[in-house]
Amino acid sequence: MSMTTPDADAPLIERIKRGDVKAFEMLVVKYQRRIERLIGRMVRDTDLVQDIAQETFIRAYRAIPQFRGESAFYTWLYRIAVNAAKKALVEMKRDPIVTESARASRDEDDETSRVENELTNGETPEALLASKEIAATVNASIDALSEDLRQAITLREIEGLSYEEIAEVMNCPIGTVRSRIFRAREAIALKLRPLLDTREGDRW
Amino acid sequence: MSQSSEGSASMEGLSALVDGELGSDAGARACAQWREDPQARAQWHAYALIGDVMRSEDLASPVDRDCAFLARLRARLADEPVVLAPAELPAPVELPAVAVAAGGSRRGWRTPVAVAAGFVVVAGALVATSVPGSLPFGGNPATVAQSGAASAVAVAPSPLRAVSVAQDSEPVRLNGQLIRDARLDEYLSVHKKFGGSSAPGVPSGFLRNAAAEAPAR
Repeated sequence: MSMTTPDADAPLIERIKRGDVKAFEMLVVKYQRRIERLIGRMVRDTDLVQDIAQETFIRAYRAIPQFRGESAFYTWLYRIAVNAAKKALVEMKRDPIVTESARASRDEDDETSRVENELTNGETPEALLASKEIAATVNASIDALSEDLRQAITLREIEGLSYEEIAEVMNCPIGTVRSRIFRAREAIALKLRPLLDTREGDRW
Repeated sequence: MSQSSEGSASMEGLSALVDGELGSDAGARACAQWREDPQARAQWHAYALIGDVMRSEDLASPVDRDCAFLARLRARLADEPVVLAPAELPAPVELPAVAVAAGGSRRGWRTPVAVAAGFVVVAGALVATSVPGSLPFGGNPATVAQSGAASAVAVAPSPLRAVSVAQDSEPVRLNGQLIRDARLDEYLSVHKKFGGSSAPGVPSGFLRNAAAEAPAR
């Protein structure tokens, strides 16, 4: 993500290379949504999107000894996902690749195309509602943050800056940056909890 | 969310790990927490989801779906070999049983080999044809240690994974330490044909290299 900092996933990747499969699960939780969305833009078959996303992570896991950090992990994973989707499409002898114009119309903030887009990814209306609730809650929580916390988490998540860079921008110690980002996340997570935590965490 | 300040501090570590901003010791603790504490896993998911939603609202995904995805993948990962497990690396002095047996039998050949030069050619040919897999047939300690290390790179159930790893032509480094080097394997494999029991044929640098692997485990 960040153009200016080393890959944020490098520490987890080191652990995976030492045999820590749980560290790989952490990356799955981190990137699963993005990978599914990516594949959903190439493949219309809703079941296939999930299957290809699964295949993407399995392939990544098998290939991780060859990952040398020349690109960010997500860039590497992205390529694996695209190749897995292409391969699946060839195997299915279908032609569901979304054309550029179709993709452009999806990206418009038009309610109809938006619903269509999400429903093609296998969303039920209930799931769609839950998604909208989550998005609204995150946005409202960010608005409610103090300026320091909001700026810190925005510089990290939107701008992709490292803690060191954020410390320079905000003119504060790195430890303060770390604390502000954590506090921002905790404040948002607290609001999200009713939406995410209905079965008290044991599902994870 | 944890109530205690200790728990809060560890969640802060998890938050820093999301951003890749945690040292290796603290990172290890955060990963251990993730393994052991469902709350930590839920929190990790929340942090990742928050980042995704901040970047794009259409990444807001119901938690059930994310959970189901991971549960399904976990089942598949359970069938996958652990691709790298240096913790399983044998110490250089712990020669694999096969290598010991092979080395012993080759030492047994030495006497007749020394008696007749023609036997050297025959024995050399036998050795050369028996090592294409580059597994422990080398008679010198450095070669055996290196082969032992290579064999531990991939662990059961699929020995095929070892082959794919060995095809990597670049050295694999963790924390800046050399774990294995496919080029070195290739070099040793070629030189086994000539070296056999000839210890001076292998530069002492390789002996140091094999010993230096120990801390990487």
